[in-house]
Amino acid sequence: MMNKPLLLSRSNIILFIILLALIAFPFVMDSRTLTILITQILIFGILAMSYDILLGYTGIVSFGHAMFFGIGAYCTAIMLNDFESTIGTFIGSIIVGMIIAGILSFIVGLLTLRLKSHFFAMLTMAISGLLLVVAEKWRDVTRGNDGFTFKAPEVFKDRVMFYLVVLALLVIVFIALKRFVSSPLGRVLIAVRENEQRTKSLGFKTLYYKVIASVVAGVIASLAGSLYAVSLRFVNTSVLTMEVTLDALLMTIIGGVGTLIGPLIGSVVIESAQHYLSGLARDFPIFERWIIFFGIIYILAVIFFPKGIVGTLQMKYFQWKNKKNQLNVVPLSKNKESSK
Amino acid sequence: MDLIISLVINGLATGMLIFLLAAGLTLIFGLMDVLNFAHGGLFVWGAYAGIFSYAYTGSFTLGIIAAIITGLILGFIMEKLIIKPVYGNHVQQILITLGTMLVLQEMIKVFFGPNVVAVKVPELLAGSWQVGDIIIIKYRIFIIIFGFIVFGLFHYILTRTKIGLIVRAGVMNKEMVQALGINIKRIFLFVFMTGAALAAVAGVLMAPYSGAIYAELGMEYAILAFIVVVIGGMGSFQGSLFAAILVGLAGSFMAYYVPYLSLAVNMIIMAVVLIFRPQGLFTAAKG
Repeated sequence: MMNKPLLLSRSNIILFIILLALIAFPFVMDSRTLTILITQILIFGILAMSYDILLGYTGIVSFGHAMFFGIGAYCTAIMLNDFESTIGTFIGSIIVGMIIAGILSFIVGLLTLRLKSHFFAMLTMAISGLLLVVAEKWRDVTRGNDGFTFKAPEVFKDRVMFYLVVLALLVIVFIALKRFVSSPLGRVLIAVRENEQRTKSLGFKTLYYKVIASVVAGVIASLAGSLYAVSLRFVNTSVLTMEVTLDALLMTIIGGVGTLIGPLIGSVVIESAQHYLSGLARDFPIFERWIIFFGIIYILAVIFFPKGIVGTLQMKYFQWKNKKNQLNVVPLSKNKESSK
Repeated sequence: MDLIISLVINGLATGMLIFLLAAGLTLIFGLMDVLNFAHGGLFVWGAYAGIFSYAYTGSFTLGIIAAIITGLILGFIMEKLIIKPVYGNHVQQILITLGTMLVLQEMIKVFFGPNVVAVKVPELLAGSWQVGDIIIIKYRIFIIIFGFIVFGLFHYILTRTKIGLIVRAGVMNKEMVQALGINIKRIFLFVFMTGAALAAVAGVLMAPYSGAIYAELGMEYAILAFIVVVIGGMGSFQGSLFAAILVGLAGSFMAYYVPYLSLAVNMIIMAVVLIFRPQGLFTAAKG
């Protein structure tokens, strides 16, 4: 953490190799199902990363993340349906979705972030619940639970093309968020997570920083929603349900809070488990309720591994490294102490 | 006039159901500082357990008793296994109770099937009275009376008995109560189980009122209960009654006069309360 991030550090090289593998993947393996699955994983990875800005970095629990996701999905769906279905409209709809989500998250944030964690969680849940009901009732625009299909832009008829676009966006979002959390602003957010009272007494207006975090998270979630709508070429009110929030939450918790890689790994775990476990349901009916297993794993994870997969591994790694360092470098560190 | 009376009755009945749910929520929060996001899960478990025993035995009273027992058992298990390890850590509490909600809701589908279950009003309470031009549905009156009895009972327990004294003192300052040699952990368990039982009762009473039950119902009502708790003030028992009735009445009047605003009205009330009185209308004194 302390040393400056090198461009060619070991973890960056690993990430780069994974990225290359992901780019090469559709050209090597010609599997439609797998391409679609990985596209889903990437999209939910974006959503989970945005959620982690709130949960992992700022330490606020929002249960209303689905509303921003849903806004993005509906913006894209409605605009592609009503206007010409071109790549321009697609980009425009993403921007419109992001702006609406940004404004909404700003208002919601201002209204609710003054409150303690409990109230915030509850209120975001209530607001997104309300938005869901509005969407269900406002059938002229949303067509309610039946939803509607629309034509995706011509370019995205090719699944591989869409896959690459999503991958590129994921990389952009990842780098942008990485910059965001390691900027001074991001450091303040981490300080808020660790001890809000102390951050306040250091002179930071914590509300202002929390609102920024919530806007950033909302905007990115809207992007994920737009991509999700295009990947399905269909949208209904399920994009606004609690389940979307829960997915993001599970991914973040199981993958590891407070890291950007964690949510991505969580997304891989949850999406592929969802895919394969619901496949198993044909033989074992209990797997139709696979969410139970996740619920239980999630509860256990909150109690025993609150840091998730990545966090726990990281901790183990640091412990191991410290041990090694202690064995080898004890005299050096002592020297340092004495030279001070 | 007739219209207003029947709208008031509707509103009061809905308000009472929400009150039963919110009362447990607010007591648990006030005393234990735990916001139970799984409360809706307890609610829907109460509804299913109660309605299935009602269908099996044919007695609605037994159904209510079954719901209470289910609530107590689930409350006991939850407190011991899930709430206890995360006392004092708000973020973990929120996360873990939401996970519990998820498990409870899915378990409903495993045990009772994923389909919507239709529920009939028990015979004794079915039908309606006609007073002049006003048609009064018996079941709604029953809910209102039941709600007031529960309120009266709890008000009595809280203000007139020793255990109520301890609970109220615990809401104000739990360290002091503990210092006086009272096992506050046991009081926590007791309050949690009572709150769970109240939620379960609300569930079984709601079932004939809405006519059908399904697993996701818990979440929908839990959101209303959250709104009520915020408006009424966390930890305040009277506040939640007042706010529940307010939300119930506002909902029923709006549903008649301005239907498309009927759901937004709760949010508007909540937003106004939060802007001007973020601690809620009534607030239990915190030491």
